[in-house]
Formats: sequence, structure tokens, C-alpha cells
Amino acid sequence: MSVFKRSSRDAMAGGPAVVLDANEPEIKVEHVSVRFDGKKGAAPVVALQDVSLDIRQGEFISLVGPSGCGKTTLLRTIADLQQPSSGRITVRGQTPREIRLQKKYGIVFQNPVLYDWRTVRRNVCMPMELKGVPKKTRTATVTEMLELVGLYHFGKKYPHELSGGMQQRVGIARALAIKPEILLMDEPFSALDEFTKEKLNEDLLKIWNKTNKTILFVTHNISEAVFLSDRVVVLSPHPGRVSAIVDITLPRPRGLAIKNTPEFGALVAKVRNSFEGV
Amino acid sequence: MNLRSSMNPPEEISVRIAATQQDVSNPEAPAADRRRFDAENLTTLLYPIVFGVLILILWQTQVLHRILGADTFTLPLPGRILTIIADNAPEILMNARATAIVALTGLLFGSMLGYLLGVIAAVFPKWGIGGLTVVSAFNAIPIIAVAPILNNLTKDFSRDADTRSMLAKILVVTLMTMVVMSINAYRGLTELKPYSEDLMKSYAARRTDVFFKLRVPNSVPFLFTALRVSVPGSVICALVSEYFAEYIVGVGRQIRENIVLAQYATAWAYILTACLMGILLYAILLAAEGSLLKGRR
Repeated sequence: MSVFKRSSRDAMAGGPAVVLDANEPEIKVEHVSVRFDGKKGAAPVVALQDVSLDIRQGEFISLVGPSGCGKTTLLRTIADLQQPSSGRITVRGQTPREIRLQKKYGIVFQNPVLYDWRTVRRNVCMPMELKGVPKKTRTATVTEMLELVGLYHFGKKYPHELSGGMQQRVGIARALAIKPEILLMDEPFSALDEFTKEKLNEDLLKIWNKTNKTILFVTHNISEAVFLSDRVVVLSPHPGRVSAIVDITLPRPRGLAIKNTPEFGALVAKVRNSFEGV
Repeated sequence: MNLRSSMNPPEEISVRIAATQQDVSNPEAPAADRRRFDAENLTTLLYPIVFGVLILILWQTQVLHRILGADTFTLPLPGRILTIIADNAPEILMNARATAIVALTGLLFGSMLGYLLGVIAAVFPKWGIGGLTVVSAFNAIPIIAVAPILNNLTKDFSRDADTRSMLAKILVVTLMTMVVMSINAYRGLTELKPYSEDLMKSYAARRTDVFFKLRVPNSVPFLFTALRVSVPGSVICALVSEYFAEYIVGVGRQIRENIVLAQYATAWAYILTACLMGILLYAILLAAEGSLLKGRR
């Protein structure tokens, strides 16, 4: 906290570099519970119950679970879009709020949330406008990001002219545009067909490889989680809690062919068998 | 990573499917789409025109008179109405100008005030929604009730009868167009797509940024929804408020005066003028909407 006393403007502009101990987790979730108060008289809904989790820097970690297990709530709490009822979250030694105000999060939501009055380029540009990035840098970064997600030639299109998969890729380009330290993805591909989803899974691994971000990925698709992740966190519902953390020991880089190996099948089965009370 | 290599077969198929509807692969010319749009446009124009021409033929040949049991005195022939318009062009234009000034000035003030009310309601939602409910109650008051009241309220505004009449008429239009705009502006400023506010929050956007980069652009289509109601509405309000105005000018007033004097052909000439004004303003609105909302869906 004390490092921020210089000025708030400084903090907004990216903040001082925080040197992390190699052994220190980047995101530390300690005994977090989230309760939503029901209507008068009704018992409060416990979305998360005593969740603890450590996420290392550069790690690809997935939260898997059925509907109502609190996986989205956990992501939103880390993103500071939701406050924990009890417990504590520390990100790079700071609060989620401080990290959010330093614009170190990139978030991809369940739907692309593109602004339909802006072209693809100007959508990707939007977070940089908010951050006050100079125009020349913005233009260069937009080009770089669209090339990264393979949509450079579609920059002048409007969102409705793109397919669902392309729109979600624009969303990813936008999230990466402010060079966030942590990428939070909330079921980003759940609305897409299986083919597009697998393709984007592969692309996402390539992007992760190039950018070396920490990625927290929420999904209800076990196979997707196993394919992507270093570790899969299995959440169980009523109340939402961590029932297992499965290490995915598959070699990298991974291609879609890995899904046909017995090791992959075994890990999927291991994750599936970890659910409690479903 | 270039475009070709990054697209897997399924994605390409989906692009091709999209291309049959709209040529995505060529950014310059969505040719197929434009062609279909034209065909659609043609029929939407053609049907009413054919219907209108049919009515005109029946009217001019007096078949319409036989059906309605009317005579050519109360329902003059189209040819005669056009002759009257041609003969009285300067006077008709002068009256049309007076009506247009009332309609457009009222529309401008009403829409601006309405948008402002929408903004206030969106910024202070606690009493803003209640406030808008009160405002929309104005919608229930008929123009013929409001016009005489405002006429009375503005009678000390100026020594010049034309000026104070003008003010009364503009106020009627302002009041009516304000209501439509305020409700639509509020909806446009607050009915955001899911997660779009979360997205802004995740980038720690300032309130002013959320307002100008998200809420205001989001409200633009709603603004046109309001104008589609209030542009024709402003002409109607102007015409009706002229009936009650102190100073005798305007297309609406001329319709009334000429009917009172049993000059039906002249009255019809002004009715036609009123129709043309409404259609012209609506066409301008649609053209503006088409060019401003291009790319949106």
C-alpha cells in the first residue's frame, strides 16, 4: 500500500513495478466467502464458501464446475466486480481494487460486449482511450493485437458483420490491448460451436505462449479446461467450494491431437470424478 | 499470424455462410446485401404509390364521390386542388413557413429539453424514474386542451399578437415532443447490453467516460425512435395549436378558416400542404437516421 503514496495519478498510469518473490503466488485467495442476501425472510444464497487458492505468475488456471458453483463469482471477486463477504484476496501484494484501478486486468466476458457503434479497430482501441494512451501508440497496438488474433483485415468492419467466433476474438484483442498482467476469462467460448471453440482454444494457447500472462479461465467444459490449463480447480455447488485441484501434467505446446491420448482421457475422468454433490 | 493461416476450416465455412448474406470477405462492397435491400425498398415504395394513384384515379373520375355520396363542392377534384395551390403559391408558402417554424423550433427545444430530462433521470435514478412518470402524464393531455391554456398563459409575453401566438404554439409543440424524447433518452442511457458496465468498471473508467463513451452512443438509436414519433407529432401539434392561436397564420389555421368560409377547395389545398410537410420532414429524418446509424444493428 505504501508504495502508492506518491500520487494516485502515478498509480493510474500503470503503477510502480512490484517485484514478486518467485515463490510468492501472484493471486492469493484466502478463505473467501460470498453471500448474496435473498429477499426479505429468505435465507441468503451462499455463492462461495471458504475458498482458498493460490495462483502463480504466468500460470494458466481453469475454474470448472456446474452452474451455481460460484466459478463466475470467484472470477468477479478477483476482478473487484464483486466484494467478498469474508476472507481476503491479494493480487501482487495489493487489493483487487488497486490492481483494477491500475488497469492491470483484462477481462473477457461470456459475450463479446462489443460496442456496436464502433468499428472493430475502435473497439480494440477503447480501453487505451480510457487509459490515456497517446494516439500513435494506440494505432500501433490495435494493429498488433488484431494481427495477434488474426483479424487484421477486419478492422474497419462493424461487430454485427462478424461471426460469433470473430467477435469473441475481438473481445480478446481488446482485453490484451492495455497489456494487462492478468487475463480473466469468464466462459468466453461457451456460446460458440464446438469447431470454433477448439480452434479458439488452440489460438488462445498460442497467444498465452507469446504474451506470458497469467490467465484465469472459467468454463463448464471439462475437456476445454484440461486442454488449456496447468491446473484445473474443480468447484462444487451448494455452497460453492473447491472440491479438488487437478494438476494437468500434459506436455506443452499442446495441439488438438493431444485430446486423443489416454493421458488426456484419464485427466478428464479425474476432473469429472472430483465433483461432489452434483 | 496472417488471416488465412489463422482461420481453420469451420471458421472459413462460417465466414462463407455469412458471405452469402453479406460479402464479409470483401470489405468494400456488400453487393448482395445492397441488391436485396433495394428490392425490399422498391416494394415498400411501390405498394403505397400504386394504392395512392388508384385512389387519385377514382377521385378524379368521381367514382370516389359516388362511393362516399359526396359532391365535387365538398370534395373537390384533385385537378382543382392543384390549380388552387399553383394560383396561391406565395400565400401557401408563407403559411407553410409559419407552421414549419413552429413545428421545427418546438421540436428542437422539446427534444433538447427531453434529452436533458432523460440525462437527469439517468444520473439520479432514485427520483428520476418517478419524475419521468409525472412527465409522461403530460402525454395523456390532449393537444386541444393544452393549446388554449398556453395561449392564455402567454398573452402578456409581447405586445405583438404574432409573437405571442408564436410562443404559445411553440410551447405546445415543445411540451409534446419533450415527453417522447425524455422517456426514450432515459431508456437509451440506461438500457445497456449485459456486461458493458462491468467492462467499463474493469478498466476503471471514470463516470464521465462511461457517460460519453457508453451511455450517450447507446442512446442514439433511441433518440431516433423518439424522433420517429415526435417529427410527425410536431407538425400535428403545430397545426392544431394554430386553431386556437390569436394570430391568424399557418397551414392549420388556414384549413379551419377556409372550411368556416365554405371554401373547401382551398381548405383541401392546405390539407395537401400539411401532408406534404409531414412527409418531407419524415423523409429527411429517415435519411439522417440511415446515414447516422450505418453499421449498427
